[in-house]
Amino acid sequence: MTIEWAWISDHAGDLTTLTLSHLQAALTAVLLGLLISLPLAVLAHRVRPLRGFLLGLSNVLFTIPSIAVFVLLLPVSGLTRTTTVIGLTIYTLVVLLRNTVEGLDSVPAKAREAAIAMGTRPLRTLLTVELPLALPVIMAGVRIATVMSISLVSVATYIGDGGLGQLFTDGFQRNFPTPVVVGVVLTLLLALVADALLVAVQYVLTPWTRQRHPKSGKA
Amino acid sequence: MYELFKDLGSWLVSSEQWTGPDGIGHRLAEHLQYSLIATVIAAVIALPLGLLIGHTGRGAFLAINLASFGRALPTVGLVVLVFLASGLSMTPVYVALVALAIPSIVTNTYAGMTAVDPEVKDAARGQGMRGRQVLLQVEIPLALPLIMTGLRLALIQVVATATIAAYVSFGGLGRYVFDGLAQRDLVQVLGGAVLVAVVAVVLDLALSGLQRVLFRHRTAA
Amino acid sequence: MTSNSPMNSPMNRRRILGGLFAAASVPALAACSSGITSLDGQGSGGGSGNGSSADGITIGTANFTENQILGYLYAAVLGAAGVKTKVRPNLGTREILIPALKGGDIDLLPEYQGALLHYLDPKATATEEGEMQNALAVVLPAGLQILPYGKAEDSDAFAVTRETADRFGLSTLADLKKQNGKLVIGAAPEVKKRVVGVVGLKDVYGVEFKEFKSLDSSGPLVKGALKKGDVDVANLFTTDTDIAAEGWVVLTDPKNLIPGQHIVPLIADRKADSTVRKALARLGNALTTEALTELNRQVDKDKKDPEDVANAWAEDHGLRKSAG
Repeated sequence: MTIEWAWISDHAGDLTTLTLSHLQAALTAVLLGLLISLPLAVLAHRVRPLRGFLLGLSNVLFTIPSIAVFVLLLPVSGLTRTTTVIGLTIYTLVVLLRNTVEGLDSVPAKAREAAIAMGTRPLRTLLTVELPLALPVIMAGVRIATVMSISLVSVATYIGDGGLGQLFTDGFQRNFPTPVVVGVVLTLLLALVADALLVAVQYVLTPWTRQRHPKSGKA
Repeated sequence: MYELFKDLGSWLVSSEQWTGPDGIGHRLAEHLQYSLIATVIAAVIALPLGLLIGHTGRGAFLAINLASFGRALPTVGLVVLVFLASGLSMTPVYVALVALAIPSIVTNTYAGMTAVDPEVKDAARGQGMRGRQVLLQVEIPLALPLIMTGLRLALIQVVATATIAAYVSFGGLGRYVFDGLAQRDLVQVLGGAVLVAVVAVVLDLALSGLQRVLFRHRTAA
Repeated sequence: MTSNSPMNSPMNRRRILGGLFAAASVPALAACSSGITSLDGQGSGGGSGNGSSADGITIGTANFTENQILGYLYAAVLGAAGVKTKVRPNLGTREILIPALKGGDIDLLPEYQGALLHYLDPKATATEEGEMQNALAVVLPAGLQILPYGKAEDSDAFAVTRETADRFGLSTLADLKKQNGKLVIGAAPEVKKRVVGVVGLKDVYGVEFKEFKSLDSSGPLVKGALKKGDVDVANLFTTDTDIAAEGWVVLTDPKNLIPGQHIVPLIADRKADSTVRKALARLGNALTTEALTELNRQVDKDKKDPEDVANAWAEDHGLRKSAG
C-alpha cells in the first residue's frame, strides 16, 4: 500500500473544501445539540421524574446505527446537509444532556441558596450562578461531543455528504488508498485541533478553576 | 409515519423474515458474534493496559489522550483502509470495532483504579502484601464496578457500529440497513435499526443487572 | 428462498411506501431545499427548487465511478454552453436518486435507458432503443423528462470466471438453470429486487440461486468476490475494463432480459431548455462506448480524477472551452 504524495499536493484545494465542509457539519451539530440539551437538562435537573426519562431516551437514540438515522431522514430532508446535521445532532445529545445535568448537579446547593437569599431571580441565578459553575462539566461534554461528531460526519458519505468521508468512498471504489489515508489523518487532526481549542476556550471562560491545581500555580 | 410503523410490524413478525440466510435469526446471530468477538479482543488489549496505567500511576496522560484519539478515529475510514491493505475479510471490521471499543475500556479501568482509596492500598501493603497481591486482591476487586461499566459501554458502541460489516459484504443486522438504503426500502432500514437498538438496550440492561447482582454484597460486607 | 416468493409481497410494501413518500416527501423536500443553501457551504447552484437552467443545474451522480465521469462530462459541456453547474458525486442508487430528482435536491442525472425503464415500470417489454425511449416518456413521473439517448452504452452483464464457465458448461444465462440452487450470485443490494437482476433471471430464465450476496456496483467487492470464488456469478458493467483483463466470461442473453442501456440524460422539466438540450445532445453524439470505457480505465486504474478525465476528453473533442 503506497501513498501517492503527488495526489495530495494536486488536491490541496479539494481537501481544504472537504475539511471545511466536514468541520461545518460537526460544529453545527454540536451547537444545535447544545441549544437542545441546555433547556432539557435544566428541566431534567429540576423535575426529577423527567430526568430518568430524558437521559434514557438520549441513551436509546445513541444505540441506533447512524447510517440508519441518515437513511430514515431521507423522506424528511432529502439528500441534503440538513439530513447530515440532524443525524449528527441526535448523537451529540447523549453526551451533552448527561454532562449538563451532571454539571448542574455538581453546583453546590449553597451557591444557589445564597443567590436566591440575595434576591436574585431564578432565571438569573441559573444564568449567572449555576451554569457558570457547571461549565467545567458541560465543557467536558462539549469536547467529547465535538470529537465524536467529527469522527461521525464521514458516515454521511453513504448519502452523498460526509465531508472527508467522501475520500473514503472514493478510495474504496477505486481501490486507491491515498485518499483514505489522507481522510483518516485529516479527521484526526481536525478532532485534535478542535479539542485543543475547546480546552483553550474553557480556560478563558472559567478563570476561577485555575487556582485549584497546585501544580500549575506559580508561587 | 403510521404506515411505516405498521409495515415495520408486519416485517418484524413475518415468519419468513426470521428464517433462512437473510432471516432475522441468522442476521442477529451474526451481529452478536461480531460484537462479542470484537469486544473480547478489545478487552484483552485494553484491560491490562488500563490496569497497568492505574496500578503504576504512569501513563495517565497517554490513557486520556488515547481515549480522545480513539473517539476521533472515523470508523468508515478505518474499515476502508484496512480493507485496501488486507483484502476482503472480516479483519477490517474487527480492527475498526476493536479500535472503537478500546478507549472506553482503558479509561474506565484506569478511572476505577485511581478511585481506589490510597489508604486502603497502604493498609494492604502494611499487612505485607506484594504489589501483585495488592493489584489482584485489593485494587481490581474495588475497581471492578467501573471496569464493568467500561466493558458495557464498549459493547453497546460496538453493537451499534457493527452495522458497518454489511458495507464490506458481510452480514449482521447492518445488512438490512445497507440493503434498505440501496433499495430505498425504509421498512427494512427501520427494522434493522430497531433490532440493533433493541439488542444494544437488552445487552445494556442485562449487564447492568448483572453488575448490580455481583456487587450487591459489597454494601452488605 | 431468499427473495421472490409472492408471500413476501415487496411490491405491495413498495406501493404503500411510495404513497407515503409521495405524500410526505415532496412538500417537505421543497420546503427544505430552499433553506439548504444557508447550511451548505459549497452551495453554488444549491437552491434548485425552481427556475430555469439560468439559475444553474445540480447534477447528481450514482455510487459508481462511471456515473461520476458522466456527471462531470455533463458539467463540462453545459459549462461550455454558459450554464452554471454543480456536480454531487456518490449520492447512492437509482432508488435514492430519482426521489431526490423529484424533490428538487438535484436537477439532472446521467441515466441508462433500460435500467431506468425497468425501475419505473418493472413489466416493461421494450428492448429496442427507440421503443424504450417512447416507453420511458410514458412512465416518467410528472416534472421529469429524458433527452435523446447517446451513442455510448453501458449494459449490465452477468459474468463468471473462465473456470466456472468450463466446469458447468456455462455460456448463456439459460445455462445457469442447470445449476439451480447451487450457485451464489454477487451484485449490488438493489439488484436483488430488480428485474434486470435476480427477479428477471428467475422470471425469464427460471434461474434460482443458492444465495444472493449484497456487494457493490461493479466495484471492488463484487470483483474481489468473483476473483476469490466467494461468488460464482457476478453482476458487472460491460464498460468495466477488468472483464477483459481478468478473462471473465460474460453470459449471453438469448431472451433479451437485459435491455439496451444507452446513456440518457434524465432531467427536471424546468431545467430542460434548448441550451441544455443542445449541449447534452452534442455530448451524446460524440461519446462512444469505447471512449467511455477508456475514461473508466483512466479513473479506476490510473487513479485520475473523474472531473479531470471528463474535462480533458471534452476539450479534446471540442466540447469544452479550453481552460483560461
